[in-house]
Amino acid sequence: MHLTPIGDGALLLEPGVALDPSEPDHYLTTILELLAERGCQRLIYDLRECVVVDEIYYGWLTRLASACRICGVEMVVANVQPAAAYTLARRLSDDPPFRCFLDVDRARCG
Amino acid sequence: MERKQRPTVVKSTHEILIDQLKTNLGHLSAVIEEQGKALFVEAGILGAQDVHEYTLEFLELFVMWLQAGSRIGARTPELAALEQFFSGFARQLQIRGARLETFVRYVQSLQRVLIEELEESEQYSFEQSREVLLLLARVFNQLVLDVFQAYLREKEQTIELQQEELRQTSTPITEIWDGVLTLPIIGSLDSSRAMIVMEKLLTRIEKERARVVVMDVTGVLAIDSQVSHYLIQMVRAIGLMGAEAILTGIRPDIARALTSLNIDLGNVTTRGTLSDGLKEAFRRLGIEVRVVARE
Repeated sequence: MHLTPIGDGALLLEPGVALDPSEPDHYLTTILELLAERGCQRLIYDLRECVVVDEIYYGWLTRLASACRICGVEMVVANVQPAAAYTLARRLSDDPPFRCFLDVDRARCG
Repeated sequence: MERKQRPTVVKSTHEILIDQLKTNLGHLSAVIEEQGKALFVEAGILGAQDVHEYTLEFLELFVMWLQAGSRIGARTPELAALEQFFSGFARQLQIRGARLETFVRYVQSLQRVLIEELEESEQYSFEQSREVLLLLARVFNQLVLDVFQAYLREKEQTIELQQEELRQTSTPITEIWDGVLTLPIIGSLDSSRAMIVMEKLLTRIEKERARVVVMDVTGVLAIDSQVSHYLIQMVRAIGLMGAEAILTGIRPDIARALTSLNIDLGNVTTRGTLSDGLKEAFRRLGIEVRVVARE
């Protein structure tokens, strides 16, 4: 998992393949602490490398978005892959609790 | 009437047929060729030379099959070769525009020629003739059935391919402006089509870096709860990709039906016409379209 400050009060999170979405508690504190430390208002979660967003992964995303909101940070998602968007759209009954952007640049400005 | 002396050696069915072919090969070949010409040459399906070659090939394979001896009832390579010949022959006829029933009539004529030859010969007992008839009927029926099954399979494949082609061409996604895609949906929207449309659309959004997608349903005849469900899924998928969806062309009768089905499109941006949808898309992108006054 890579966390990179990218300016404009945004922190870019690139999860990488090693992230285990079934263990959110392993990551939440680290991420929230860094967000607070850097005074970020936005966390951009980059899903470029994530082709499959299953129930567990989606659960992790909603949990992170919820934790960010409590800390006064907006989590947005960028680079959702077509296959992931397709499977998620078929499974979800409501809109996700985070905004989605086509890429990181738009997520930073949006 | 004086009957001929029956042979003392009891011949098996295939031996009888081999004998018959050996004795009358020239005649049989001529009759079969004649039948083929009557069916195919006169109808302009095959040339006389084609019929001649097919006749010879058939007789050659038929003799090879008979020579399988005691294995004649089993699925021998010789029988497979015969089946392959008929499948290829039927395919050629299909390519040249012949109907399947023409092929069936040809196979029946082959059978009839062989049976008539047998009837003319008085050297075999009733039981022997009956055995030969049964064998011929069984084999030729099986050959026709094989060809018919292959024909049906090919038809089904053709229909599936045509349906696929229709599905692919019936969802033209166009980039009408930088970052604006239009998707006119025409006809009915079932599960498989919704799946294809959604896949193509999401890939195009990624490829074109699209920001707004205008989905026009003017050409959709009816929207029931299932179709509206697919539309909502598409709108959600577009949103997940980071683009915005605008739904246009919902006719008044469809809008009324949707309300009676308690389907809420509250989260979906809708506009009456495709034109209005495009204006909304441009507005969101900060594009202004103006009429330039002509001198």
